Amino acid sequence: MSYAVRDLAKSFGSLQVLEHIDFSFQESSIIAILGPSGCGKTTILNLVSGIVELDSGTLEGFAGKRFSYCFQEPRLLDWLTVEENMRYALASRLRIEPEKAATLSRIDRFLEEAGLAEFASYMPRELSGGMRKRLALARAFASPSDLLLLDEAFSEVDLKQRMDLMRTFLGLWSDEKPTTIIVTHDIHDALYLAHRIFVMSQRPSRIVGSLAIDIPHEERFFSSDAMARHEMELYRLLGFTRQE
Amino acid sequence: MLWRSLGIAIFLITWEVASLVVASKLILPGPIPVLQAFLDMCQKLPFWLSVGGSFLRVLEAFLLSVVLGILTGSLSGMLPRFRAALSPVMTGIRATPVLALILLAMFWFPSSQVPVFSAVLMAFPIMHTGAEIGVQATDEKLLQMSKLYAVPFSTIVWKLRIPSAMPHLLSGAKNTLGISWKVIVAGEVLSQPRFALGTGMQEARLSLETPSVFAWALMTIALCGLTEYLFGILIRRPVRALPPSAKRPLAARSAS
Repeated sequence: MSYAVRDLAKSFGSLQVLEHIDFSFQESSIIAILGPSGCGKTTILNLVSGIVELDSGTLEGFAGKRFSYCFQEPRLLDWLTVEENMRYALASRLRIEPEKAATLSRIDRFLEEAGLAEFASYMPRELSGGMRKRLALARAFASPSDLLLLDEAFSEVDLKQRMDLMRTFLGLWSDEKPTTIIVTHDIHDALYLAHRIFVMSQRPSRIVGSLAIDIPHEERFFSSDAMARHEMELYRLLGFTRQE
Repeated sequence: MLWRSLGIAIFLITWEVASLVVASKLILPGPIPVLQAFLDMCQKLPFWLSVGGSFLRVLEAFLLSVVLGILTGSLSGMLPRFRAALSPVMTGIRATPVLALILLAMFWFPSSQVPVFSAVLMAFPIMHTGAEIGVQATDEKLLQMSKLYAVPFSTIVWKLRIPSAMPHLLSGAKNTLGISWKVIVAGEVLSQPRFALGTGMQEARLSLETPSVFAWALMTIALCGLTEYLFGILIRRPVRALPPSAKRPLAARSAS
């Protein structure tokens, strides 16, 4: 099973955001779309998930799929507890009596794996920024879906929280290995997490190159020559070259 | 508390000084004769029957206004066409002077219901606006998230839309209660139903018992304040559950 985006274009009014976007990927892989801020990365997620309608192009393999979306900001209901926020996102499954027990244990499991089990009765405002992001991640993973979309899910937190978040993500991902699209402007998010990285240009954006990372996740957090080469290659694709 | 007490003390002193300057109990009695008249009235059964009668009318008008306001306001908030169709009616109601409304209602309703009808027409637009703003206050991003996770409609209403609207609904209800008291008593003054604060006020005026008129007014103010206080206690729990950002509209209304 594979997914493909063919010749995708999108403009908002007179502003052409995306043109000739082409990429494809396999099921159960993590891909990262890397590009500068404002180049239309989020628009790609919104187009594939159906939040926004595309102007032209085709989406292959996406029809009828269920999506989980981890937004740039956690999008939590501040008046519900951590556990209630999880239950809210899974409300449709909790209504089906035969699935209720399994769904509740799924919520417990993902809260546990995200390190939030002991905070289940806390209100979101009582959590740190990193914990709120972990909750949004747990919610996205707990909601059964075919495609997981992550929009700058590891940004706006300090380095320690970011590393924790990435480890949480990999721990959650390794359970069921959902097909995942990460959009990010940060090279390291892409390098540490993705199996394949697609690099976008400035607006109107295109895919200017791609890079496969075949190093196991557990080895990526420690610097190696291979990781350094990949990093240099990404800088080159983004248009950063050594000054002569 | 200290500043409130000081404010009340300054008001009472100003009132006493003004009554001494006017030097006519018929035009402006001082606080002491008014208090005396108030204590005298408190010892009579008809006074308490009037308090009960007016209280029930306010309760009736308040509940009707809240139900009607939430119904029309929610529909207006969700359906732009409904909002456009209702807009001229709401503008007309808001612009109608309360006295004109009471006089017209006297042709249509028995005297006991004139104040209720007038109060509902005056108060429900406030609740309507609160509900309309409340419905529109739901965060679009949270709605988008709910849609993506296929959250059922009823769950969105109970867990997202109503809590988002709650601060606006509560402040609308609080203001509706205040305006209900004012219009009910004004309606009672003109329509003269049995057992009513307004009727007592009007009878005292016709008998030129100015301290009694003040005493009836004092009772109305006290009752209005008491019901608003009790309403505040009633809503304390739902307000406590709201996030700080959602409490802002409530705080703003209370301050005004």
